[in-house]
Amino acid sequence: MTFWGYVRPNGEVGARNYVLIIPSYRIINIAAKRICDYVFGTRAIVTTGEVSRHTKDRERLARIFTGLARNPNVYAVIILGAKNDGSGYKEFLATRLTEEIGKSQKPVSVLTVEESGGLERLVEDGIALARQYVHDASLIRREPVPLSALQIGVKCGFSDATSGISGNPAFGLAADKLIREGGTVLFSETTELIGAEQDVASRCVDPKDAARLLAMVEEIEEAAKRTGEDIRQINPIPANINAGISTLEEKSLGAIQKAGSMPIQGVLEYAQRPGKKGLHFMDGWASGYSLPVSLAAAGCQVTLYQLGGGDLPSNDPPVIATNTGVVAPLMFVTGNPRTAKKAPRSIDFSSGAVLTGEETLEEAGEKLFNKIVSIAGGELAKGETVNYMDPIEPYFLGPVF
Amino acid sequence: MIQLNGNDNVAVAIEDCSSNVEVTVKAPAPHASFSIVPISNIPFGHKIALSDLKPGDIIVKYGRPIGRATKAIPKGELVGVHNIEGLRGRGDLEASRRQAK
Repeated sequence: MTFWGYVRPNGEVGARNYVLIIPSYRIINIAAKRICDYVFGTRAIVTTGEVSRHTKDRERLARIFTGLARNPNVYAVIILGAKNDGSGYKEFLATRLTEEIGKSQKPVSVLTVEESGGLERLVEDGIALARQYVHDASLIRREPVPLSALQIGVKCGFSDATSGISGNPAFGLAADKLIREGGTVLFSETTELIGAEQDVASRCVDPKDAARLLAMVEEIEEAAKRTGEDIRQINPIPANINAGISTLEEKSLGAIQKAGSMPIQGVLEYAQRPGKKGLHFMDGWASGYSLPVSLAAAGCQVTLYQLGGGDLPSNDPPVIATNTGVVAPLMFVTGNPRTAKKAPRSIDFSSGAVLTGEETLEEAGEKLFNKIVSIAGGELAKGETVNYMDPIEPYFLGPVF
Repeated sequence: MIQLNGNDNVAVAIEDCSSNVEVTVKAPAPHASFSIVPISNIPFGHKIALSDLKPGDIIVKYGRPIGRATKAIPKGELVGVHNIEGLRGRGDLEASRRQAK
């Protein structure tokens, strides 16, 4: 089977065709934002940045930058930097970012405050270059490519009882099918493995991966205990509890249903690109402002938010996170027929009919698979029709100094 | 209602269920469906006890432990944060253990 994608110089295939603006120092965020507001077809990474963070956390943020830039949904990259390479942490030097991104063989340019002659001149130069890149990008046509080129990432959230019955299991079947087609699927949310980690670890092909996965879970559980709180005061969140989920273990056992039934080929560090095809677990944080961008940085062309939504406000509530895949579309899918009914403008797909017995899980999984392929091929996720991106939250370990 | 695994001692309401109104619980194959009378209202998505549970009894859903009863839960009762607690990530227990030392 195939999807309609943009074939890149290195053979990877995009589901979108963006020009990405990266402010390599947060003081230039304003320039990235202005360029992005002005030029159609661009995306910008705007975060609170690297200042006074330890090396591991700076490397995590640098992986977000380079990972999004290398994502095949990006045609070209503009790095906004400062000329003097000695002025910042080495992880964010424009030369280093350029070298890393250059591995993908896509156009990368660096513009600096000094060379442009000030912040506002930098915005002008950025606009001119971005417009040129966006036009160049428009000359590339989508073509049918094998689904083995597709990598998708999933998170589940606003979980309720349907997440583990009709929602995540339907996604799991769609994921199984993509993997049978040779594609790649990432799932994450380390905290939501607590209570379900043995089942997941036993599916790792490599025993070393199983051990690493269990160590990741132990580390996060120990960190949770150090708060001195029952984790139930933090996660499941009150909205989960109101919707019928009573413990973290219960939430986790529902959450892992989205991992389908395929063997786990690899366990990835946060925002790390997989080295092979198939199912992977990636260390990550569940926040809707954090995980989609992290999955996109790991190379996913499409991200999904598997929504329970039992405790969402009624009557067309706001979506939980808007365009936080940054360069990757963020689809909203639900297994809760009530959620689908109250948020029709935001939900891309509902497997709620499984819950009411009108459809089998297999039928829903097949339909969801087709929807994913369609969105990879250019159908807009409903959130993409909104010209807004929520703030992104890289997953930092902390503390700060 | 749905019982997700034959070993589960709770089932999930897939519609709002009222107290004292008998409902059918769909059990996973090869188990046959059975009926139960809720003794409290069980809202959509919430859980019902399928047997009498004592304090400390392990609550099983998806065939796996999801926590333990904090008080006696009679068959047909709503199961939730008011009568069960998690077993994992219990920083509160560790903190009180540290204090006791």
